[in-house]
Amino acid sequence: MEISASNLEIGYGEYVAVQDMDIQVKKGEITTIIGPNGSGKSTVLKALTRLLKYRKGIVRLDSRDLLQFEAKELARRVGVLPQRHSAPPDFKVKDLVGYGRMPYQKWYSKNSAEDEKVIDWALKVTGTWELREKSIHQCSGGESQRVWIATVLTQQPEILFLDEPTTYLDISHQLETMRLVRRLNRESGIGVVMVLHDLSQALEVSDRIVVIKEGRKYSEGTPDEVITSRMMKEVYDVDCEILHIPGRKNPLIAYREIS
Amino acid sequence: MKAGQRLSLLRFGTVMLVLLILLAVLCLLSIAVGSAGYSIPEILDAVFREEKSPIKTIVVNLRLPRIILAILIGASLAAAGALLQSVMRNPLADPGTIGVSAGAGTAATTILLLFPNLTASVPLFAFGGAALACVLIYTMAWKEGVDPTRIILSGVAINSVLGAYNSLLQLMNSDSLEGVLAFMNGSLSGRSWYQVRLLSVYAAVGLILAFLCIKSANALQLGDEMAKSLGVKVNGSRVLLSGVAAFLAASTVSVAGMIGFVGLVVPHIARILVGSDYKAMLPTSVVLGAVVLLAADTVGRTIVPGMEIPVGIVMAVCGGPFFLYLLRKRGKVSGN
Repeated sequence: MEISASNLEIGYGEYVAVQDMDIQVKKGEITTIIGPNGSGKSTVLKALTRLLKYRKGIVRLDSRDLLQFEAKELARRVGVLPQRHSAPPDFKVKDLVGYGRMPYQKWYSKNSAEDEKVIDWALKVTGTWELREKSIHQCSGGESQRVWIATVLTQQPEILFLDEPTTYLDISHQLETMRLVRRLNRESGIGVVMVLHDLSQALEVSDRIVVIKEGRKYSEGTPDEVITSRMMKEVYDVDCEILHIPGRKNPLIAYREIS
Repeated sequence: MKAGQRLSLLRFGTVMLVLLILLAVLCLLSIAVGSAGYSIPEILDAVFREEKSPIKTIVVNLRLPRIILAILIGASLAAAGALLQSVMRNPLADPGTIGVSAGAGTAATTILLLFPNLTASVPLFAFGGAALACVLIYTMAWKEGVDPTRIILSGVAINSVLGAYNSLLQLMNSDSLEGVLAFMNGSLSGRSWYQVRLLSVYAAVGLILAFLCIKSANALQLGDEMAKSLGVKVNGSRVLLSGVAAFLAASTVSVAGMIGFVGLVVPHIARILVGSDYKAMLPTSVVLGAVVLLAADTVGRTIVPGMEIPVGIVMAVCGGPFFLYLLRKRGKVSGN
């Protein structure tokens, strides 16, 4: 499965948030969208998942226009964890994760055996099985992020979209979330599209990175191709060196010291 | 079934059982007490044995319909409030927010003061006014979808315009306000089996629809984008849930006038008792709403001998402080 957008323009009134955007994301791959604050990363992610309307262009899932999909049909193929989500604090983990089955259910149906099986799988694969009887407010930040990822996984999507999944988490939970994403991709073959702020993490987990600057695509490619000191200067206006260290697969970004 | 699941089911079951027993006790009490007090055996004796007696007339024609009305109205208003809190994702949402009260009030005031010969049709006009105000607020709030904040703000604006019109009308007709005041303060005084029949149809339809909305109401609690990405038609659900809530609230207003606070306070108490899952929260709200309104009405018609305090006033007087108590003591009153 592949989602591809061509010639997207998103905005309202005079304001143009994103323009001339061509972007493809695939099942089986981890694609990361990076760019400065306000560059339009989340906007693109939302357009690719039909959470946001676009003025021009088209988004296709395989060869079919995304707009033609019935809401539940789309939700069975594409899972999105928005940046902003909330649940009543007394919701139980297991119940929350169960909401991921909504696209498979009629408005009157209860969880089937199949639903229960998928819920259990999602709880186990995200390491939230032990939390299942707890309520959301009893979970730590990292735990609750994994619970939300489990909720989206329960939709059994072919591509998982995560909007800044590590923001507000401490470094240990950030890395834990990245490991989870990577494992889901490698073991279940699920496609992942993320918006990330941390470039080191993007470098480490991504198969492909798309750089967005001021609403337009600046570059795309493998992490090695994209993360360069020139890109850092032109997109972020930051001086840095990209260091390759023997024994490490991925390079490090060494920012110039603050003098 | 897992231990935790059994626990929350047990909790819900216990709460419902206690509330139903409370409701039954209140019904018996409410039948017995009043300007003329009877014992339960006296009442049973009168209702089932004697052909005709003053006790039978009072109980069957006055108190019984009033009790049933209180139950239906309390249940409907609480359900409406519960649905609206999910629609708005706001703990302050109640049927007043979407213009039901102001719309009904405007229509009723207009009829009572300007067209008194149509007084008999006040319920019909009140219902229509409520529906119209609600539609107006949603139309004003619509901009590529209905955003809760815009609904609330456009509600505030339209409510204030309607409120001003009402005040003006009342100022200019200050000598004939009795009917208007009775309507504004919500009263069950003098209602009969006719209103019971009317409202039981509306309430039944409305409550069934409300129970069909449980899944959407739950999904809306997860936030718009999350709900949307789960395949929920967010705008459609909002309008549907609001429609059901407006219908429930408008039918009570048309029968008993404006009764505040039930729709606001009861869902919060239900949330504290059984949690935010509408599968438990909605039924609890419905029964609790019935209990609260029946209690308020019974107090209202017995606390001062020889005088009836409208149920709306009792609700506001008791509901306000109780709400403050919850807010301060429990710290549990919360939206999302």
